Amino acid sequence: MATAFSEPTAPIPAEPPKRRQAATWGNLLFVVPYLTVFAIMLVIPLGWGIWLSTTKGDLFGTDRWVGLANFIRLFRDPIFLETVWNTFYFVLLTVPALAAIGLALALVLNRQTRWAAVLRTIFFASTVLSVTVVTLVWRLVFLPDGGLLAVVTKALGGTPVAFLNDETLAMPAIAITTIWWCIGLPMVLFLAALQQVPRDLYEAAALDNASRWTTLTRITLPAIRRTFMLVLIIEIILQFQLFGQPQLMTLGGPNNATRPIVLFIYETGWRQWELGYASAAAQVLFVMILLAAMAQYRVSSRREET
Amino acid sequence: MRATAPIRTWFALVLALTLAACGSAKDEGRTTLVIQRFFGSCEAEYGANTDIASAEGECGIMTSIINAFEKANPDIEVKQNVVFWPGYDQLTAQLAANDAPDLVTMHGSVIADYQARGLLDPLGPDLAAIGITPDQFTPAARRAVTINGRVWGMPLDSWATLWHINMNLFRKAGLVENGRPVLPHSPDALLAQAEQFGRRTGKPYFVAPTANEYASFTRNFYTMVMQQGGRVYTGPRHANFQTPEARRALELFRTLYRRGLMTRNMDYSSAVSGFLNGAGGVFLVGTWMVQDFDTASRKPDRPLSNGYAVVPYPAIFAKDVTFADGHNWVMPHDPDRTPAERQAARKFLKFFAAHDIDWSRTGHLPAFSRVVEADAWQALPHREDLARLTETATPLPKQIRRQFPIETIVGQEAGAAITGAKSVDQALTDMERRVNAVLQHI
Repeated sequence: MATAFSEPTAPIPAEPPKRRQAATWGNLLFVVPYLTVFAIMLVIPLGWGIWLSTTKGDLFGTDRWVGLANFIRLFRDPIFLETVWNTFYFVLLTVPALAAIGLALALVLNRQTRWAAVLRTIFFASTVLSVTVVTLVWRLVFLPDGGLLAVVTKALGGTPVAFLNDETLAMPAIAITTIWWCIGLPMVLFLAALQQVPRDLYEAAALDNASRWTTLTRITLPAIRRTFMLVLIIEIILQFQLFGQPQLMTLGGPNNATRPIVLFIYETGWRQWELGYASAAAQVLFVMILLAAMAQYRVSSRREET
Repeated sequence: MRATAPIRTWFALVLALTLAACGSAKDEGRTTLVIQRFFGSCEAEYGANTDIASAEGECGIMTSIINAFEKANPDIEVKQNVVFWPGYDQLTAQLAANDAPDLVTMHGSVIADYQARGLLDPLGPDLAAIGITPDQFTPAARRAVTINGRVWGMPLDSWATLWHINMNLFRKAGLVENGRPVLPHSPDALLAQAEQFGRRTGKPYFVAPTANEYASFTRNFYTMVMQQGGRVYTGPRHANFQTPEARRALELFRTLYRRGLMTRNMDYSSAVSGFLNGAGGVFLVGTWMVQDFDTASRKPDRPLSNGYAVVPYPAIFAKDVTFADGHNWVMPHDPDRTPAERQAARKFLKFFAAHDIDWSRTGHLPAFSRVVEADAWQALPHREDLARLTETATPLPKQIRRQFPIETIVGQEAGAAITGAKSVDQALTDMERRVNAVLQHI
């Protein structure tokens, strides 16, 4: 757009169309390696998975094409429907908690002191552990027979609770384990965002005698809104893929209360050798993650526009 | 610098070539035999042990037999893949990727899954070539490896759920006569004994893993149904769990659980340590624990000291049968397997057959009749009591495929009924629906 300060300039002579086109195609070479890997590792497997979901077969070959039969069977399978609910329930238990606790930790630890650095390392340390180690540690906490919580409960004169063997408490127990394990990533992302907020805004707020709450709600939170959205989307995608914790802590029980979709896919595909049916469940999970992430994105984008 | 760099390069090259030459000289003429097994890893304790007689436990004995085989056959190098139990997911992936091992440990209940898909080689002719014929196997072992008259594996053992008994607590409960445990032979007698045990010892009669453990429920359930003469599988693709026999079996366990006659909230490892520490009278677990519990009973000042007995499942109902399974060596199909590798596999199988008695020290039942009849086996602790299992141990019909995932489904539903999460009728209905869904979609 021309402004009052614009100087009239001579038009740039257009390059011959042929040469420009050649240069554009040549530039594509820079992205070919990435596109190749992307296609081989993501696009082709995704397409292949969709095709497999319409077939009946196992790892050693497809038997026949069955169209949408696997999907119809899935939505009539009470165990699968329970796994869908279990997965949503787990996401509801973990994602808001991860975002809220991650933000709280970041706010508390966003200072240049030695203790803050040590605590940041401690809170992030659990993230580097494998799921096997994490679940082993937390099983020792939840064991009703000599576990940490049982010992504390007994010391206080109470009766130990069998968290992992109780239909109502098993999923919250897995959620606590997961939050402990995964809290490092949201915390680090929020810390990075907090360090990007311009200092002069805080200085101005201090000059205006703004309270801590006002500073938080009027400066900090609006400034890190995009990171908040990023954390939510990342965590939704990650937590929908719950697998290792119930596989190692509860085997999906008691009474199917902690079986998520990925465990269902694993059991159906590998244990029962029903690759087509497992692929159909995988497509449902893919759509669920996509919809949840897009919904979150749209909601956040609209709020930003307003 | 310029002068030394090429010298270093040449030195490194010569060293690498020398090492490579040494390596090839060492491996020259050796046939590599790739075996894949479960039973755990115990390299620290038994990695170099070739004295089989000194080994203890499944892992120790298995590792020592393999070490002894390598020592006795210097022309064969055994490559061992130790998989996390039971390892079938990994095996399936390997077979799909055309990376078949030469020999694999496999439960008898699983063989049909791989055999039906053309993933195994029949082993009958190979075994015959080394002088092993099916008539040498015990009836239970023979049933485990035979499909449509052909032999698809070499049995290592048969196993069944046993009654491991804490005799010290049984004595306290007044349930010992002439040095033998008094066993129930009807559901009412079982409940009465369990109540008496609870009153006199203050402990539950059964130590049972009821948390995160489903196989145990399934095996007990199958045994109880079989003892009533019930059949839950009416065909290769059809299960019928809504029977009076299945209902009675679940209701008996549910009553035991509700009345506090079984331990609660124990997973498998807690149940094992619970039994060792005197948490209850009877632990329903398989043959693989016999040696461990017997060893523990020989230690002083322990709850189990001089007070361990083990017997087959008593006939709670009319028939004296116990659900059983077994471990076997099978050979995955591999078109690239060389005659030398096949010959090495035969030698390996022959060696294991010769050491069946060593393997049976674990507590598993021998796969060969000659071992069951041998004085050396019968002289092992408790084996006299267990010998009849080679006749009464009953696997599910061979044509029932996907027995492993089905075991989990049956265990989940049985567990839900026993612990009260579902009614017995609802659990049996769900069990039947889920199992039939698996069977009918094979």
